[in-house]
Amino acid sequence: MTASLLWKRIWRHRLFYLFLLPGIVWFFIFSYVPLFGIQVAFRDFRFTGGFTGSPWAGLKYFRQFFDYYLAGDLIRNTLIISAMKLIVGFTMPIVLAILLNEVRSLKFKKTVQTLSYLPYFVSWVVVVTLMQRLLTPYGGPVNDFLVASGAVKDPIQFLNNTTWFYQIIVGSDVWKNIGWNSIIYMAAIAGIDQQLYEAAKIDGAGRFRQIWHVTLPGIRGISVILFILATGSLMSAGFEQLLLLNGPATAAIGSVLDVHVINSGISEGRLSYAAAVGLFQSVIALILILTVNRIARKVSDVSLF
Amino acid sequence: MASRKLPLFELLNYTLLTLFALTMIYPFIYILVYSLNDGKDSMLGALYFFPRKFTMDNYAQVFENHRIWQAYKITIMRTLLGTFLHVSLCTMMAYALSKKSLPGRTFFAYYIFLPTIFSAGFIPFFITLQKLHLINTFWVYVIPLLFSFFHIVIIRTFLQGIPEELEESARIDGYGDFQIFLKIILPLSGPVLATISLFIGVTHWNDWFSGAYYVSDKNLIPVQTLLQQMLTEAEALSSSLQRASQEGGQTVNVNLAGSTPESLRMALLVITVFPILCVYPFLQRYFVKGTMLGSVKG
Repeated sequence: MTASLLWKRIWRHRLFYLFLLPGIVWFFIFSYVPLFGIQVAFRDFRFTGGFTGSPWAGLKYFRQFFDYYLAGDLIRNTLIISAMKLIVGFTMPIVLAILLNEVRSLKFKKTVQTLSYLPYFVSWVVVVTLMQRLLTPYGGPVNDFLVASGAVKDPIQFLNNTTWFYQIIVGSDVWKNIGWNSIIYMAAIAGIDQQLYEAAKIDGAGRFRQIWHVTLPGIRGISVILFILATGSLMSAGFEQLLLLNGPATAAIGSVLDVHVINSGISEGRLSYAAAVGLFQSVIALILILTVNRIARKVSDVSLF
Repeated sequence: MASRKLPLFELLNYTLLTLFALTMIYPFIYILVYSLNDGKDSMLGALYFFPRKFTMDNYAQVFENHRIWQAYKITIMRTLLGTFLHVSLCTMMAYALSKKSLPGRTFFAYYIFLPTIFSAGFIPFFITLQKLHLINTFWVYVIPLLFSFFHIVIIRTFLQGIPEELEESARIDGYGDFQIFLKIILPLSGPVLATISLFIGVTHWNDWFSGAYYVSDKNLIPVQTLLQQMLTEAEALSSSLQRASQEGGQTVNVNLAGSTPESLRMALLVITVFPILCVYPFLQRYFVKGTMLGSVKG
């Protein structure tokens, strides 16, 4: 194609370039400029100097983080919480999708599905408020039920307590996201060839064996992909939830990297230090996702890239 | 047929799913009941499915509060404006990217995809907001949420499903590019536009973080942030009040009618959740499809 022809084509598409323009500018400012701004992790950031004007500091802020006596705790807490969320939060939507798939009554299925999406559409502030109200030992319905049914003698202090902290973090995360995350598995199950079920039935497979030998293999591919994607967030435990739920009583096991970045960066104004912690987090996340992707490709032939 | 096994499985499954559904909906029912019950009476506990002392006082008090009105106004404004701009701009971009003949199409697609793998993290983003002087303005709610890669992909996938012959025949009728977009493409895109509107609308409605960390002006705070502030401020107060009424009984006069910080909080929570509760079931059909598209192709 000659240059003039290309120009003609470009000119013919001028409206579409106009359509692209706001997005190109926006992605430049809000994605590429911050990417360029990663260098503040290696500089003594001063607001007047900006990204490039502040003096270099080398690895000072990374060292500061690793010398911080709670750094080990922060990393450990982050990994524990996100690993628990990954395991439970990854399997429960699959279980829900399989159970829903076995339902014959369309009306019942649709009702359960609609209700399952509900918590996804409310904010973490709302979820935390709900939990505080439901779980309070002072007249909260959960404790009332537990006492009335004889499961416990005295009401349980669920919140602000290290004993129940992880259960509550993982439980509320599953509660909020299970319905939404099951959508993709529902779709995958719907795509399974019905003849496979017929064949399994003829071979004498009951419901459980059909699930085991047909449904589960049928959603294997999509599950692997979603699992790889989820490992990318192993270094972030979900900052909104932990920002709201973690308090002084649970700090020892509930302080995580994301919240540390926000607190030290915005509340304390240590921007370069926070940027260094954040960068450490992103680099580990990237390594994790690449590693899991490689393992998945070797083990199961399914991979993200 | 294995007639014995089937009903057992069915029974178990229906029971489990019914319990599951109840777990999903009951917290909201409980809050509704609490918000419709006399606040002091609620502190006595044993309130589960129906209000014991029905009252609209909590709502009346919430709506009397000037701060709450202001916060609600901010939330509604940012949701309407933010959703409108996001959907318009993303649709324009997606339409351009759906044009197979567009020179440089692949480059632009990669240009918006790359930031989804390598993101800079929170602090450089925050500094950028500061440098743009968006901090402590209303626009900090709208501008950083104008575009989303995943939404653009979902819209583009939908637009690519529209037969090209439609555009060609419109062109023969003398339509220009812009007229085709406005009169042919947009009217056909109803389902996907509704889905994206729901996604971004909910994001705007639920965002408390921006209000808490990017804004200090009290008049600019959205409802979710207000709820979050009440959560941290009033928690200590209300639980100590409640403890006193439960254990001591004498120090707080529980026979006195009226709202408590807790019952007000529940009323605020209900009005925060209510609009979404009304909308999402009707859009379910669309967003189920939309999510599948987004996850598979994204």
